[in-house]
Amino acid sequence: MYSDLLHALPQVLGLTNFLAVTIGVIAGIVVGALPGLSATMAISVLVPFTFGLDPLVALGLMAGIYNGAMYGGAIPAVLLRIPGTPAAVATTFDGYPMAQQGQGGYALQVAVVSSSIGGIASAFALMLLAPPLSKVTLLFGPAEVFWIAVFGLCSIIFLLGGNVVKGLISACFGVFVSVIGSDPIFGNDRYTFGYLELLDGINIVILLVGLYALPPVIDLLEAPLKTENAASDNLGTEPIWRTLPRMMRFWKTWIRGSLIGIWIGILPGAGGSMAAFMSYNEARRASKTPDTWGKGEAEGVAASEVANNADTASALIPALTLGIPGTAVAAVMLGGLLIHGLQPGPMLFRDNPDVVFGFMWQFLFGAILLLFLGGSLATNSFAKLLKLPRPLLGSIIIVLMLIGVYSIHGRMFDVYLMLGFGAVGYLMDKLKFPLPPVVLGLILGAFAEENLRLALRIGRGDRSGLLANHTSQVLVAMTLAVVFGPGLKRRFWGNRNSGAQG
Amino acid sequence: MSDTPKHRFLRPETLTAIGTIIVAAGFLLPTVDLRPLSALLPATMLVSLIVLGAIMLISDQRKAGSGQAARPMTKAPRRVLGAFALVVLYALGVDFVGFYPATAISVPLVAYAFGYRHPFGLALATLIVLVAIWLIFGFAMSQEFPTGRLWSM
Repeated sequence: MYSDLLHALPQVLGLTNFLAVTIGVIAGIVVGALPGLSATMAISVLVPFTFGLDPLVALGLMAGIYNGAMYGGAIPAVLLRIPGTPAAVATTFDGYPMAQQGQGGYALQVAVVSSSIGGIASAFALMLLAPPLSKVTLLFGPAEVFWIAVFGLCSIIFLLGGNVVKGLISACFGVFVSVIGSDPIFGNDRYTFGYLELLDGINIVILLVGLYALPPVIDLLEAPLKTENAASDNLGTEPIWRTLPRMMRFWKTWIRGSLIGIWIGILPGAGGSMAAFMSYNEARRASKTPDTWGKGEAEGVAASEVANNADTASALIPALTLGIPGTAVAAVMLGGLLIHGLQPGPMLFRDNPDVVFGFMWQFLFGAILLLFLGGSLATNSFAKLLKLPRPLLGSIIIVLMLIGVYSIHGRMFDVYLMLGFGAVGYLMDKLKFPLPPVVLGLILGAFAEENLRLALRIGRGDRSGLLANHTSQVLVAMTLAVVFGPGLKRRFWGNRNSGAQG
Repeated sequence: MSDTPKHRFLRPETLTAIGTIIVAAGFLLPTVDLRPLSALLPATMLVSLIVLGAIMLISDQRKAGSGQAARPMTKAPRRVLGAFALVVLYALGVDFVGFYPATAISVPLVAYAFGYRHPFGLALATLIVLVAIWLIFGFAMSQEFPTGRLWSM
């Protein structure tokens, strides 16, 4: 089962792949360090530029960015008390007080070592858990694949939290966008309104850039952050090898945080910020000196950073095996796989083992590289990057977005379409509509429709065939559990709590 | 957008819900002409959007009825509209005037309009961006950009 994993290793060790991961990690750290820019946005902007690249090189860049950005978010969290990414919010609790005490350098070193450990644990989890899961999913037929798509959509809507109606609207919008173009079986046009550009459907990159890149740029221009008062000039950085022995006392926190991060990553919709908060709370609860937490306790930084990086590769376990991403970045990465002709899901492991297993190695190497690159970048000179003029940054990202989208087919129509999705994405973002269901709807909508229609044709139109076997029934039961479970749990726990209070 | 809307039907969520219902209903018209199996998924999604939009509308109106204030969408609506307008203008500029001239104007214009007002920094950044794009995309990747519809008339 794991022999493909070993076979993929030599290719990953090639210079181009190694370079791609290195560039990705550095780019990820830079993007993560800039408040307002996220890994999701960086990968969305990057995806179109990887068209001409070998799939493994492109995926290496993405893996590097993901790993780097999760750590990069800690830099402004420590120096400015502004989390660079949402997952770094818990890092501010102790990181910023440490910076104020002249220990900013040590806080960043704790962050980078913890991030690296979390990333390595997550990559191992991906390597160990994804292959056996893919073997099971290979046995699925069209009906089961359809139910998996329904389960994936429901899980991301109902487990994401927030307003379920808005989540459902997002998913319906995404699925509807996926049906635009030629009908896959009859070949008739659907909602193209005579535009030949829409016949092939809407490219996922256009949607990704519009939804994930334009709103943050508008936010950058709306209220540029003042970063002049950064505590970055007094980092008090020592060589990382000298500070490592002081960190060894965090080993329990690293193990606990890694397990929490991996688990949260596998759960659809939870994400790195939840992992970081849970790990921080658990570590604080287990601490002998909880009073020092929030006042500059280095273990707090370790707890938060190890968990938010442990969530990275593990989020790809359901994404690669079932086509259900655990986080928004994983959803964007699925889009990246699609544009390279790789359909996430059971067939990926059978048809492209070298790419999928190589991708897993790249995650591991990215996490290891983070230790060296992140450690060397956590310096006074790198901290000055935070003072980059943000309006200028915004205007440059707009240019990159246009180049990326235009280069897909070489036509301005796609750019205008992207701007339309960007406007919709901005409204959705401000009105707290979740964006991952839109992307997942676009990815899974066409996939679900194709398999549903195939299953119906196999069953000669008999709809009961969709529930004929046990796997389908289990998947339907899981979907129902995801839909009604949170409500029942709330009701049950609510009753128990009120009973206990009474 | 930043001010609390005076009329209860001008609340952002209400307007979004109404917009969702109208657009989804509009898309239902061409769905009627599709074959039943071809229309199955899109019709389901559109009807769901209409129903969900109605639920959102009722929910927001109930909030308005109970005196709950609508959450402002943005702190600086003028800046947001300005940013969107400049992005759209840039896209139109690329289409009609050409990529390089439009970029040469847009990069400093957007940065200046939103608060970065150092002429030397702006000129240097614009030059670096243009040269880097030409080297990476134009020279190394042979990527062709729009030359401008105006010049080809």
